[in-house]
Order: sequence, then C-alpha cells, then structure tokens
Amino acid sequence: MNWYRHRDTVDQLAASYLLGTLRGPARRRFDAMLPKKTLLALAVDDWTQRLAPLLTTLSPVQPSPALWTAIAQRTAGKGHEKAESIWKRIFSAIPAGALATGLLLGVMAPMLWDRPWAEDTGAQLPASYVGVLGTADGKPGLMVSSLRHGTWADIKQLNPVAVPPGMQLYLWRIDAEGKTKALGPLPTGKWVRMPLPEPAEALFSQAVELAVTVENLGDTPLAPRLPFVYRGLCGKLWK
Amino acid sequence: MSATAADTVEHLMGRIALRDHRAFKLLFDQTAGRLLAVASRVLQDRAHAEDVVQEVFVKLWNQSVQRSPAQTCSLAWMCVVTRNMAIDHLRKKRPETPLQWVDADGEEHEHDVPDSEHPSPMEHLLAHEDGVRLGNCLGRLETEPRQAVLFAFYEGLSHMEIAQRMCKPLGTVKAWTRRSLLRLKGCMEAFA
Repeated sequence: MNWYRHRDTVDQLAASYLLGTLRGPARRRFDAMLPKKTLLALAVDDWTQRLAPLLTTLSPVQPSPALWTAIAQRTAGKGHEKAESIWKRIFSAIPAGALATGLLLGVMAPMLWDRPWAEDTGAQLPASYVGVLGTADGKPGLMVSSLRHGTWADIKQLNPVAVPPGMQLYLWRIDAEGKTKALGPLPTGKWVRMPLPEPAEALFSQAVELAVTVENLGDTPLAPRLPFVYRGLCGKLWK
Repeated sequence: MSATAADTVEHLMGRIALRDHRAFKLLFDQTAGRLLAVASRVLQDRAHAEDVVQEVFVKLWNQSVQRSPAQTCSLAWMCVVTRNMAIDHLRKKRPETPLQWVDADGEEHEHDVPDSEHPSPMEHLLAHEDGVRLGNCLGRLETEPRQAVLFAFYEGLSHMEIAQRMCKPLGTVKAWTRRSLLRLKGCMEAFA
C-alpha cells in the first residue's frame, strides 16, 4: 500500500513522528519519504505548528557569552569558502554537457523566438536575466532565463520537486530588502515557458533572488503561503 | 509565534544558506534564548543544554539539518530540531540521570505537577497568547493520557517506556497517545 498517498494515514504518522513515538523501521521509512513527498512534509509542518507552543512558550534562558564564542569559532572562516562551494556544488552537480545545453537553450532559445533582442552589447549572448535556483538541500533545482526586454521566461527544472494534486509551483522575485513579488504560476514540465506579467526589465532589475513555492492550483497569492522549494540568485547577463 | 517572526527566520536561513555570517549572528541573537530554554527543559542541565544549542547552530550553518523543502523554516521548526537533538543527548545519558523518578517514600514525581520553581507546561501555555489554544485543548484531555503525551514530547519516551513508567499496559498507552493527538487536532481546529 502506498501509505503516503492516504491523507489520514499520513496525518496520524506525522503526529506520531512529531511526538516522537514513531520508532524503528517505521520512522526510518518516514524519514526517507519526507524529503520526497510534499504531503508528508505539509503534515509534519502542521503538527510542528500545532505542538510547537509546548516549546516556544518556554521562558527564554539567557545564553552564556561562551556559547556564541564557541559557535563562532566552529563556523569562522567558512563564509567565503562556503559561498564559493555552494556555487561550485550547484554547477559541479550538473554534468558539463547538460549545463552547457541548459545555458545555451535557456538563453539562445528565447532569443530565436523573441528576436530581435534589445541591443548589441558586444557579448556572445544577448542581454538577459538569468536565475540559478537550488533546492532546500543544496542541489541544483531550476534555471530561469529571460531576455532583458522579453515578456517570457524560460524555465528548466533540473531537480523536480513533488507537487501534490490540486497544487502548482509559483515563481517569486525577492528584492534587496527581502520582499517578495509574485511572478506567476510555473507551467508543468522540465522545460517550459511562462508569460511574464510585466516586461523582464521591470521585474528582474530589482531581483536579488528568485524563489518558488507550492501553492493551491488557480490561486494568485500576494505573498508566499508555503516555504520555498527552490531559491537562488538572479543576475543580469550583460556588461 | 507571529507570522513576522516566522518570516524573519525563513529570511535569515536563506541568507545563511548563502554563507552570510551576520545573518547567522542575528539568528542566534533572536533565537538562542528560546532554543536554550527548550534544551534546558528536556535535559534539566544548563551545560549540556548549551552543548546541544551549539550543535544545533553549527548544523544550521553547515546546512546539515534534515528538512524537506516543503517544511516551514520557522522558530517552531528550530525548537523541534533542538528538542530532537536534546532528546538524542538525553537518551545517551538517561541511564545515569533519569528525569522521572520515584523517591524513597514511593512518591512519583511527574512532569505535569507544577511547583513554584518550575512552572508546568500547562502553565507556560496558558500564560502565552500563542499557547492558549493548545493549553486549553491539552487541559481537556484526561490526566493520564495527557501525561503520556508530555512524556513522549519532552523526554522522547517510547510507548514501551511510558507504559513502564506509568505502570500501564502497552496497548493502553498506545491508545492514549493516538486518541489524544486526534482529540488535540480536533479541539484546536474547532478553536481556530
């Protein structure tokens, strides 16, 4: 039986999981399925929110100064190196051929559809916005590209996430202040095009990051209602 | 917990994923006191609690805390992560220092009995706006099933361990926890 398809079973298991009474092989199976099945994660999330007041309402305890010192020592010097390693990890995880094809298709294909593109920048590729998004566990997730003045975005899904029935992926812009703006629902598929609500320049010029959530099918949310399943930097590809 | 606080943790975690150490320090400043309270509640030992909180933050920095992309990255989630790590810590040292005990007079000391120094979970919940709904719903459970739920939640006891501690049949304890969780959910949804 695919127990993870049954809402009541999932809810009961998630409750036991959160409480801590789900043990042994059952817990290991649940742990293994949790990152793959959104329904499980949502159920665990519900129970987390439900029972968390048992923890969040405890009176705060002032940490000793030594606590941050110890943490800082164990994490010191890993900032810049890690920043490089994230990108290295993202790109190294993509086979060179796939990366080259992805970039080529992501940038050249819209060029062919929307040409002529805005201006001659002297670069090999037309002026475009490109976003490279990772999954929450650091894997390469999604590539988004659009011509600078384009009205479409091309999206390549590198690591699909499970989208439950009745829900859809939704693309968001995150600006320098961390504010989000809805860009629209992502069509289903590994390689898709989505219409932009405004020209790319107006949308992406303020983007520091792009992100994707899972939202109810047909909804037009003003703010993300669920956590990001993809998130990553967005930049302009011209001089 | 307010939505704003949840958004802040989510945002800071996003910056931490990009190795922003200032965001990391800000997250520590905002949450360490609460996480230390959680670890202290489980472990009843300040030094060990600080060790656990240290491990939590190092794991957060190293992105090695298991989390589904669909799970909300909130203070609640951080508290649960801390509680789970504290329970792992507790399990390693439980044979030396049991938290629940029967004293020389045969009196059983329980989590849910308030005293002046350590307020009970119920008191904590009812004293906070965010916890009133859960506190009221827990209060509607019968005493023993509620104790079973709290033993599992705060100490990570298995059904078998709860049964042994409460001197009740295993099946009874399993039924208590299952029904209690169902009743809690129904009650909290009714109050929503």
